[in-house]
Amino acid sequence: MAGSTEQFKKITLQVAGMTCASCVAHNEEALGSLPGVRKAVVNLATGKANVEYDPAKVTLADMRKAVADVGYEAVLDKVQLRIGGMSCQSCASNIESAVGALPGVGKVVVNFAAGSAGVEYAPEITSLSEIRKIVHELGYEVVEKVEGQEALDREREARQKEIRRQLIYLIISGTLGTLVMIGMLQPYWIFPAFIPAWLNNKVVLFFLTTPVVFGPGRQFFVNSWNGLRHGVTDMNLLYATGIGAAYGIAVINTFWPDAGFGGREATFYEAAALLTAFIILGRYLEAVTRGRTSEAIRRLMKLQPKRARVMRDNVEVEISAEDVQIDDIVVVRPGESLPVDGLVVEGYSSIDQSMITGESIPVEKKTGDEVIGGTINKTGAFKFRAIRVGKDTALAQIIKIVEEAQTTKAPIQKIADKVAGRFILGVHLLSLLTFLFWFFIGYSLWFTSESRLMLTPYSLSLVGAFGFALLISVTVLVISCPCAVGLATPSAIMAGTGKGAEYGILFKGADAMETTSKLKVVIFDKTGTLTKGEPSVTDVIAVKGNEKEVLHLAAVVEKNSEHPLASAIVKEARDRNIDLEDAEDFNAIPGQGVSARYGQSTILLGNRRFMAEQNISLEKLAADAERLEHEGKTAMFLAVDGVAAGIVAVADTLKPTSALAVQELHRMGIEVAMITGDNRRTADAIARQVGIDRVLSEVLPQDKANEVKKLQQEGMIVAMVGDGINDAPALAQADVGIAIGSGTDVAKETGNVILVKDDLLDVVAGIQVAKATIRKIKENLVWAFGYNTLAIPFGMGVLYPFVAQMVSPELAALLMATSSLSVTLNTLRMKGYVPPVRLQQFPTQVPHAAGLQPTS
Amino acid sequence: MKNTGLISAIIYTGISLLISGLFVIATLPGQYTSVDRIGGAVWVFILSMIILMPVIIPAVNRKLQ
Repeated sequence: MAGSTEQFKKITLQVAGMTCASCVAHNEEALGSLPGVRKAVVNLATGKANVEYDPAKVTLADMRKAVADVGYEAVLDKVQLRIGGMSCQSCASNIESAVGALPGVGKVVVNFAAGSAGVEYAPEITSLSEIRKIVHELGYEVVEKVEGQEALDREREARQKEIRRQLIYLIISGTLGTLVMIGMLQPYWIFPAFIPAWLNNKVVLFFLTTPVVFGPGRQFFVNSWNGLRHGVTDMNLLYATGIGAAYGIAVINTFWPDAGFGGREATFYEAAALLTAFIILGRYLEAVTRGRTSEAIRRLMKLQPKRARVMRDNVEVEISAEDVQIDDIVVVRPGESLPVDGLVVEGYSSIDQSMITGESIPVEKKTGDEVIGGTINKTGAFKFRAIRVGKDTALAQIIKIVEEAQTTKAPIQKIADKVAGRFILGVHLLSLLTFLFWFFIGYSLWFTSESRLMLTPYSLSLVGAFGFALLISVTVLVISCPCAVGLATPSAIMAGTGKGAEYGILFKGADAMETTSKLKVVIFDKTGTLTKGEPSVTDVIAVKGNEKEVLHLAAVVEKNSEHPLASAIVKEARDRNIDLEDAEDFNAIPGQGVSARYGQSTILLGNRRFMAEQNISLEKLAADAERLEHEGKTAMFLAVDGVAAGIVAVADTLKPTSALAVQELHRMGIEVAMITGDNRRTADAIARQVGIDRVLSEVLPQDKANEVKKLQQEGMIVAMVGDGINDAPALAQADVGIAIGSGTDVAKETGNVILVKDDLLDVVAGIQVAKATIRKIKENLVWAFGYNTLAIPFGMGVLYPFVAQMVSPELAALLMATSSLSVTLNTLRMKGYVPPVRLQQFPTQVPHAAGLQPTS
Repeated sequence: MKNTGLISAIIYTGISLLISGLFVIATLPGQYTSVDRIGGAVWVFILSMIILMPVIIPAVNRKLQ
């Protein structure tokens, strides 16, 4: 299996032209049916298709063709290259044929006169550097424009273009639709006094409606025909049949009133016009939602400044941030954003890192400290040496992770897409059955001359069996359309992953988010996760002299030792401003302790065994020593001139938020376990301090994954929280691996969820964000599916036998648009979401307690 | 590829015509106008085509490829 996995490669294609969940199903089916494609996942909200394929069996061209065959377009990355050294048109032709022959290149156009080339390519198959290399090998110079911001602008431009297009359609169809509606109402109630009679003229109405149907409404006919030609049905077809049938009846009744469709009094022009307007309203809302939910990425991208000041030949020069090289010395002034990652080499400042790590308080930075690109320098001016630039910066890595996560599909979405795909077919079948029922049975049983369409002035007294059954059939098509389904899940996932990124919580995929929301057990690695991972002095007990003297003597003798416990004691003494003189005759006994001469005294510091071998009585210290050891601390005995003087206890201490995080998890009904290689007593002591239920102690690093597996075998959905590098096997085994405190190295992490900050409360916040997102998805699905499903019986005319009124097609369209509006508004509510645990922590800083600050 | 398209088209159009024909036959005993009969048959044909095309085309493709 491993072998076969290696031969598969992954590619992300941008698919243009998708408008609904069934488009997703078509593209997945088209790509998935290609020989050599193992998996194809398409996301409507991002418009991207992730394909796992065998390059030996299927090419990029095959995949693009498959997408084109079902009526869409696989758009490739575009790059503009500046090419130097071309002397004639044949140079351009040579470059075109060489670059064009690369497997991942879809199109290449070289402009000799401009000295440039435009290449469309799939970077996963052929990288930009390969393209550059081949041009270089042909003997030309080549420089590419770095296009991060450009790509962003292009994407935004495309979105805005779509929003603008639908808005124009909405204005046209809305205005004309309203006019048609007014015209249709003219003969009724008090309207004759206000509305001129000519507006009710059926030919005038025909001329007002026709531009709506064949202008803004044309997209539905074209798209559904494109789909049908390739054997696929989508929501456009529902709209096209609905609008087409309403318009068709109206035209027939206008020009052939005796044809038996209800005559001149039943020309449903406003149904065709308003149906188009309402559907376009739904489209417009969807386009707006798609733009809004990708705001998180946009805001992350905006963090990177465009300009940087670097030292060149001891002179400060301003260059493009993209041109900063590794080892460049970058100068930053107060209030400026850092262009790249680096190490401070001169100066001192505090930096607002909230946009990357979610920390709300600015962090002090001095020489030697690491700084992150995209963060904001608050106070002082300083210089730093660039260590990561371009695509390697923490910010670029975070953007990549969030982008990739947004293109993945949660299991719940796969089900929704499948249902939506079948739903369309089912709706047409239902529409046909409804038509047959009302034509053959319903009409003769229940039709009365009092029949009306709900909320319209029409009398349907002259409608025949066909016209009557057709109206109901069209209403079923329109009312059943689950057009909001396509947006329900991906928009929530995009909002959720973006929200996580605001708090420094990076979900690597929608599936990780869904699994996180279902967690039953969270296992924490002890050392470095629950605890700080470095020992520190916790207690000093003196029986001779005072605490300060005991710590002083202990530190003096340990000053020359390299043991971690010694470092902890020396650090504590220095922190308490104790001067540490040099001791003489230093002697270390491995595994026991140290001895040295200080002044006229002989000082011993070591464990119980060391003291016993030196015949030193510990009677006065026995009770304290036992208590400390029970608490999981290491007791180091100090003896001066053969007499016990005190104890210095050292332990790995808990991180400040560990206990609170465990408490919060318990409150959420999640079991918490701890895994460690430590002995039972130490492990229990730590577990008691944080309130952990289950302790897995004396587990060797290589066995941690097995312990995770055992819990999974008990039927639990397990998360493992640990160091992304050392605990990699256990993180990989867990249902959700949460890598904590990765800082700027997010790309190296193996977890499904990456916490940029070293704060356990982010585990809680991550689970809360995941739960909120999945809850949002479920709500959206209820709005998208439930609404329509509930409305179907009314569309089918269940009320008609009792009230002699039918749901009109335009009312059905309004209900459908309301469903889209509900999903849109519900998703946008996620923007103001703050994980409750963060709300408790920073109640005054909501809604931007931490993380991305809104950009104006 | 062209063959599969043609075969599919023959199948789904044929079945749709058959269903429409059955519809017309079903209307014969009743008191329906010719508009009802012809209009109904056209609508039944359209819906049948829409339902059958996405079912028949992939099925034929699978069978013949």
